[in-house]
Amino acid sequence: MTASLSPLIHLVDDDAAVRDSLALLIGTVGLRVQAWADPQVFLAEFDRGGVGAIVLDVRMPGTSGLAVLDALAAQGVDQPVVMLTGHGTVEMCRRAFKAGAAEFLEKPVDDGLLIEALQAAVRQHVRSRERHQAGRQARERYAQLSGREREVLGLIVEGLTNKEIGRALSLSPRTVETHRANLFAKLETDSLAQLIRRYAALVP
Amino acid sequence: MTVSHWRRPVAWLLAWAVAAAAGAGWMAHARLQSLQDAFVTDARIVHRLLSQRAVQHDAVMAMLPLLQPPAQPPGDGAAAPLPRLPAAYPQILAALRRPPGSAWPAPLRAALEAAEARSHRSGHAELAQADLPAGRLWLVLAGQAAGHALQLDLRKALPWDEWPMDPAASPVRVQLEYEGQSFSVQGGRRLAHGWHYGFHKRLAAQSQPFDVVLERDVGWSELPWGPMLAWAAASAAALAALRALLRQRVAARRAEELLRLGQVARLNQLGELAAGMAHELNQPLTALLASTQAAQRLLDNEPPDVDTARHAMGQAVGQARRASAVVGRLRRVVERPDLSGQAQPLALPAAVHDALHLLEPELRRRGIDVQVDAPAGLPAVRAEPVALQQILHNLVMNALQALEQAAAGQRHLRLALRTQGTQALLSVRDTGPGVAPEARAHLFTPFYTTRPGGLGLGLSLSESLAQAMGGGLSLAPSGDGPGAEFHLLLPLAGSPP
Repeated sequence: MTASLSPLIHLVDDDAAVRDSLALLIGTVGLRVQAWADPQVFLAEFDRGGVGAIVLDVRMPGTSGLAVLDALAAQGVDQPVVMLTGHGTVEMCRRAFKAGAAEFLEKPVDDGLLIEALQAAVRQHVRSRERHQAGRQARERYAQLSGREREVLGLIVEGLTNKEIGRALSLSPRTVETHRANLFAKLETDSLAQLIRRYAALVP
Repeated sequence: MTVSHWRRPVAWLLAWAVAAAAGAGWMAHARLQSLQDAFVTDARIVHRLLSQRAVQHDAVMAMLPLLQPPAQPPGDGAAAPLPRLPAAYPQILAALRRPPGSAWPAPLRAALEAAEARSHRSGHAELAQADLPAGRLWLVLAGQAAGHALQLDLRKALPWDEWPMDPAASPVRVQLEYEGQSFSVQGGRRLAHGWHYGFHKRLAAQSQPFDVVLERDVGWSELPWGPMLAWAAASAAALAALRALLRQRVAARRAEELLRLGQVARLNQLGELAAGMAHELNQPLTALLASTQAAQRLLDNEPPDVDTARHAMGQAVGQARRASAVVGRLRRVVERPDLSGQAQPLALPAAVHDALHLLEPELRRRGIDVQVDAPAGLPAVRAEPVALQQILHNLVMNALQALEQAAAGQRHLRLALRTQGTQALLSVRDTGPGVAPEARAHLFTPFYTTRPGGLGLGLSLSESLAQAMGGGLSLAPSGDGPGAEFHLLLPLAGSPP
């Protein structure tokens, strides 16, 4: 995992001069840049696990930026994509956003705009990775619950008291209380509010 | 395309076949109808004439008892002939009278007696010894005082003087029929093919119950072939003319379409050129901007990263050079060839006419009143034909678009031609909103336009073309009237190049 490193910007443009100068510019704010001349090589090799963003030129020989965008979306790549174009039409812009582009900028691009867009994209990516991570943890913990505990959790989420749960499952309130304590411990949760926020979505 | 099936010859042939068959069929039907009508009329006349004759025989018969009996040769007890009648009526071969107590002549006795007995019962004359194929028969009438008999020759009884047909040439067959015998009145003509008409009616005389039978065979040759063929030829000619007209219209539409397509293609090429140019310039400009801004940031750092900034500035310089090379290359690509070499003497009024003709539908649709003032004997100008057409087209199109903003009744376009020194001057004046003062200065600048969606190339291109031909294009100073006026100057053909 490269998540511990600083965010990495993938820069895909067939023009060497544009690559070099944009890489230099992006580097001035401390973001790492990996430049790609060929979109096919980029698609084949770039690190999907890393945190960062992708800058894509729309007009490239061979594979257009929009096609690359579609391929990324189809592969479920979660890095935000900033599109760059020399002459953007409304239609092209619409297509890009529909395909999931985070931002659409016109060349020549002002440094402020580009850097702001990239920083926003990286922030967004980091947050989404964290959310994703939290979701995975929650699933792992939920998997540890016994069948009875899951039933109890479901009824808790529905808002029933221990007594009502006991009646519903034909258990004594004491037993319900034991299950409740166990599942709070297994799910590493301190409060009812936290429990519901994290696990309500997992209850079938 | 909806017109495509009209182009197929088979469809046309089919249409012609249907039209020709329908017309010819109608003609044939009308001819057959008239032949049948004529036949029925003739048949009625024949029936009436023959009936009249038969009735005449009855009348003669009825008259016989009134005649004074001739001096009777005494004693033999036989019927006596009545000699005067055959003289008066040629069809009467013989007339006999049988006084009471006498008998009919021997060879006829049995037949005549039987007929007389029938006549007694019926009260009118009766037939005896009818031999229709030979046309001979007897009529016998019984009476109080005496019996009478007439021998008739049917052939002589026919009323040829009133006959409605030429008996020798007519194709109508006329027969009298009686108990399986028949008497041929008129032979007519029999045919194995074609149409058959028939008429069958009994004579209106009780004593001679003959059936009048008329038959008429109509052959193929009697159809109106001449008019039918003429109709087929005429319909073929009409359809051919229609087809030619449709083709011509299709061709005209195609020509229009091609013209429009040509315009679109030019615009597309221009758009492609512009897009390519934009990309070619955008790349170095992007790199240039990014490099300089990166350098700025590097120098703003504390401490400034001078080395990297210098490197970035070096990159920027390289990209500026690259952009300028793109512009230089573009200029060489779009450089126009010198037009003065291809110039030729041209009649300017004809060129103006051609330009207006091309745009005529547009002008008419917008209800624009066009006036052309061309003095007679205007000398020819020296110009390149295509370039001149392009200039004129642009000027008229501009006026046309300006006039769209004028009120419907106020749309006038005036093109005036005159000479001015060694040049010809064409003035194109419209009554549109005119050129705004702030636009006058930029009017001939490329990519300057006041029209949404306009390219802003028409006037600048026209000006370049006019100058390349040794002429010029200018906006006339705004005068008193409304609208804009453009002046196109072109050298006269006789002037030194």
